Amino acid sequence: MDLVLQLLFTGIGIGSVYALVALGFVLIFRATNVVNFAQGEFSMVAAFLMVVFSVKIGLPYWVAFVIALICMAGLGAVFNLAVYYPLRHRTYLPVIISTIGASIFMANTTLAIHGPEPEVLSGWFDTPGFMLGPVYLDNQYVLIIVVTALLVALQYWFFEHTLLGKKLQATSQDKEMASLLGIPVALMIMITFVYSAVIGGIAGILVAPVLFVSIGMGATIALKAFAATIIGGFGDVTGAIIGGLALGVIETFGAAYISVPYKDGFAFLVLIAFLIFRPQGIFGERVAEKA
Amino acid sequence: MSLLELKSLVVRYGEVEAVDGISLVVEAGEVVTLLGSNGAGKSTTLRAISGLAKPASGDILFDGQSITGLRPEEIVRRGIAQVPEGRRVFPGLSVRENIMLGASNRRDMKTAAIKREADEMFDLFPDIRRFANALGWTLSGGQQQMVAVARGLMAKPRILLLDEPSLGLAPVIVQAVFAIIAEIRRRGTTVLLVEQNARMGLSVADRGYVLETGKLVLSGTPEQLWSNEEIRAAYLGGRTAPA
Repeated sequence: MDLVLQLLFTGIGIGSVYALVALGFVLIFRATNVVNFAQGEFSMVAAFLMVVFSVKIGLPYWVAFVIALICMAGLGAVFNLAVYYPLRHRTYLPVIISTIGASIFMANTTLAIHGPEPEVLSGWFDTPGFMLGPVYLDNQYVLIIVVTALLVALQYWFFEHTLLGKKLQATSQDKEMASLLGIPVALMIMITFVYSAVIGGIAGILVAPVLFVSIGMGATIALKAFAATIIGGFGDVTGAIIGGLALGVIETFGAAYISVPYKDGFAFLVLIAFLIFRPQGIFGERVAEKA
Repeated sequence: MSLLELKSLVVRYGEVEAVDGISLVVEAGEVVTLLGSNGAGKSTTLRAISGLAKPASGDILFDGQSITGLRPEEIVRRGIAQVPEGRRVFPGLSVRENIMLGASNRRDMKTAAIKREADEMFDLFPDIRRFANALGWTLSGGQQQMVAVARGLMAKPRILLLDEPSLGLAPVIVQAVFAIIAEIRRRGTTVLLVEQNARMGLSVADRGYVLETGKLVLSGTPEQLWSNEEIRAAYLGGRTAPA
């Protein structure tokens, strides 16, 4: 029982990271109808920025964190203007190829500037963790879960209780109609990209102390987050969160009880099972609401 | 000076001239209806006015100023709101939220003020008041049409473009929609109404234009159009049985 609780905690912790990246997928998908295959690279770039500001330059952790996120906001804006905006009137395929190209570009630019060696980024805390009853709580995992919960709550409030949130939703549901009402559609999409880059960046910085900071981390995280969005039901915010958490828990239990080397395999096994038996995902029906 | 004036407007879809040199005027306070069969270019004309379709040539004047080629957001800010064909109610937003977003073209509006105005809209559309918190997609076509018109009015437009408000609605609902158009007119909002249902269109209009394959073929008062037997047979929904 203690082991189960311990695994549950770890699973939810890593699942929170998948959920955050999945949120970025979903928000951009809803705003542009295109999957952003460079979403994982936002996490990778942010982790490297954090290494530069915090480790190499030696800024205090939170200062480095804020600067890294400001850089991510800028990257999101540039990404929108360079990767999406010129192709906005085309079908989804050129845009998808464009995001794949951007993903390769971001990974290789980081490689060219930094080199291939992985980096270690320590966490926010000096102490590693504490015991809560029978469960050992790693501080970084606690931070990941708390920050994810706060971000999800903030995002919920923003989308459900502010007019700007409603305008973003309107834009994602019917861009032409939104423009007829005077909603600045291009600005709404810009906000979406900036926000997605920032939450992708937060996910990357949060998970960096748990993983190594490497060029390949973006692809790994993105694949898991992509699986999470499919499990949750593509385009559904709640689904992305549930899917991300579920995936984290499943792969953690799979690794503990079945096989450690196949940890990543469990995530994709679940993904394949969903694609075969329930391709619309857990919350899939709600996606088909468009009348 | 007319409120809205189209001068030799041409809109192409690829090689096809969907709108082929249309000139028309709408005076302030008028209800003008644009009639014609499917594919006559009625909706395309409205799309061009709202900036959704780029004219190949010709000019669109609003209040004497050219608005040709402006973005839709800018055009609605100047006071031209459109209720498009198919209603286009945001499916995942509530009825109240849909209506509130109609005020997006008005600058410096506090959210509380917009909400108050949206709630006042339910006085004009009492049938949808009880759906205020229901999501758009759960409503029937007629209810969605009410939401779409209310949303259009929230823009406080100087001219409201209505595209086929009766399309796909039961006759009794069509009556209700047109009663609202009459009310909008009574309140002094200029309306440019596109309709396939000529009988309904002419019943609320001061003047009408008849379109055929992108060209204007006739214009006049409802009486003049209605009395033209040939036009009535061809474009206005067939010969009517004697009363």
